[in-house]
Amino acid sequence: MYRVLRPFEYFEPTTVAEVVEILSRYDGKAKVLAGGMDLVPKMRRRDLSPEYIISLQRVKGLDYVNGDGKTGLQIGALASLRSVELSPAVVWDYISLYEAIHQIASVQVKTNGTLVGNLCVATPASDVATILMALGATLKVAGTGRVKDVPIEDFFTGPGRTIMATNEIVTEVSVPEVPPGTGGAFLNLTRVKEDIAKVSAAVVITTANAVCQTAKIALGAVAPTPLRCHQAEALLTGKKLESIDSELVAQLAADACAPITDLRSDAEYRKDMARVLTRRAIERALERAKS
Amino acid sequence: MKKQVANFIVNGRAYELLIEPRTTLLELLRNEIGLTGTKYGCGTADCGACTVLVDGKSTLSCSTLAITVRDKEILTIEGLAQGTVLHPIQQAFVDYGAVQCGYCTPGMILTSKVLLDENPSPTREEVKEALGGNLCRCTGYVKIIDAVLHAAETRGKGDK
Repeated sequence: MYRVLRPFEYFEPTTVAEVVEILSRYDGKAKVLAGGMDLVPKMRRRDLSPEYIISLQRVKGLDYVNGDGKTGLQIGALASLRSVELSPAVVWDYISLYEAIHQIASVQVKTNGTLVGNLCVATPASDVATILMALGATLKVAGTGRVKDVPIEDFFTGPGRTIMATNEIVTEVSVPEVPPGTGGAFLNLTRVKEDIAKVSAAVVITTANAVCQTAKIALGAVAPTPLRCHQAEALLTGKKLESIDSELVAQLAADACAPITDLRSDAEYRKDMARVLTRRAIERALERAKS
Repeated sequence: MKKQVANFIVNGRAYELLIEPRTTLLELLRNEIGLTGTKYGCGTADCGACTVLVDGKSTLSCSTLAITVRDKEILTIEGLAQGTVLHPIQQAFVDYGAVQCGYCTPGMILTSKVLLDENPSPTREEVKEALGGNLCRCTGYVKIIDAVLHAAETRGKGDK
C-alpha cells in the first residue's frame, strides 16, 4: 500500500472519438477512468501505474439506463451500478440483475463505480457479468471510426482480459427484451457479505405452454471467465416443465466448470456449490417464470 | 506532470488550489485544506472511512482524483454541525454510544445522511444494507444502527 499515487498525465476529452484517438496515440500506455473504483485502488497498490489517464467524465451521452422488459434495456458506459440498481425498469423487469447488483455491499462503490466498468475489469467472479451472460447481453465496443456489437459470451478471454484492443472502449451494454413466461435468478456464496463471490450461478429461462423454450445458465468464479453451460442448457430446452430434473441439469453445469483453489475457497467446494446454486437458481427461475 | 489551478467548494467555502492530477480528494481535504475529519483507513475503497459527499452522493475520497470533483459541492463531517450544535445524526451517535475510537464515525455519519435523505424511515435491515460499505472494528455495529434509527425519528420532527 502506498499513500501517494505515481504521477501521470491527465486528459478530459468530450467525445468517444477523442477518447479512442488518445488511446491510439499512447498505444497501450493509457488507461480509461470512469468511476475509478477499480483503477485507483490498483494504482494505490502499484499493480498498475499508467502514465496517461483518460477520464470519461466530460463525455456527454454515456450516463443512461433506458428501456424496459418490453423494449430491452440499454445501459450507458457511465451509468453507475447504483443507478442501474435503482432503475424501476430493472427492479420490475430484470429482477435477477437487480439482485446481482443489490448484494454488492458498498453503496459508495455502487454510486461511483459503473456497470460497464465492472465488465471491463473482467474478473471471472463478477456478479454482474455472470447474470448479464445468462440474460444474453451484448456490448458495444467503440474503436477507430466504428462501433461493433460483441455478445457477452465472446467478450471475456481470461481473468482480467477481454477482446478489446488497447484503443477500444465499451460505450453501452444492452440486454434483450423479456418475453412473457420468463424467469431469472442470481445466487452467490461469499465468505462475508462484502467479499467477492466464491461461486455464483445465474439462470434465465423462458417458457411457453408449460414447455421450456430457452434456457441460459452462467457460472461465475469457477473458470477463467464467467461460463455458459451449454450442455446443461440443452437438457432444459424443449423440456416439459413438469419433467425437468433440476438436480441433473445442475450436475451437468457443475461438471463444465474448472474452479481453482485460492484464498476464498477450494476447487472441490466450489464445484460442489456450483451444482447446489445452479439447482436453486433453476428452481427459482422456474417459479418466477410461472408468475 | 502539470500542476493546475482548480476550484473546490468544501462545506460551502470556496478554495482555489494548485493540484497535480494524482492528488486524491482525501489528500486535498486533509493536507491542502486541513480538514482532518475524513480518515485514511485502507486506501483501496474497501473500508468507507474516507467517505465524503460530492453533490449529495457518497464518494470514497481515497479513490477519487481531486481534479474530477472540482467545482462540485463537497460535504465533509466538519460541514454537518452548525457552530456547536450537532447535526441530529451526530447527536444520536453520541447519545447511543455509537462512537468508540471514532475512526469510522465520520464515514458512518455521512453515509447515514445519504440514507436518511433518500429514505427517511428505514427499517433496521435497510440501515444495515446502507452501511454495507462502512466497516467498524470497535463497536460491533449494533449501537451504530440504533443511533441511525433514532436519528431517523428525531429528523422526522422538523430538523434537517
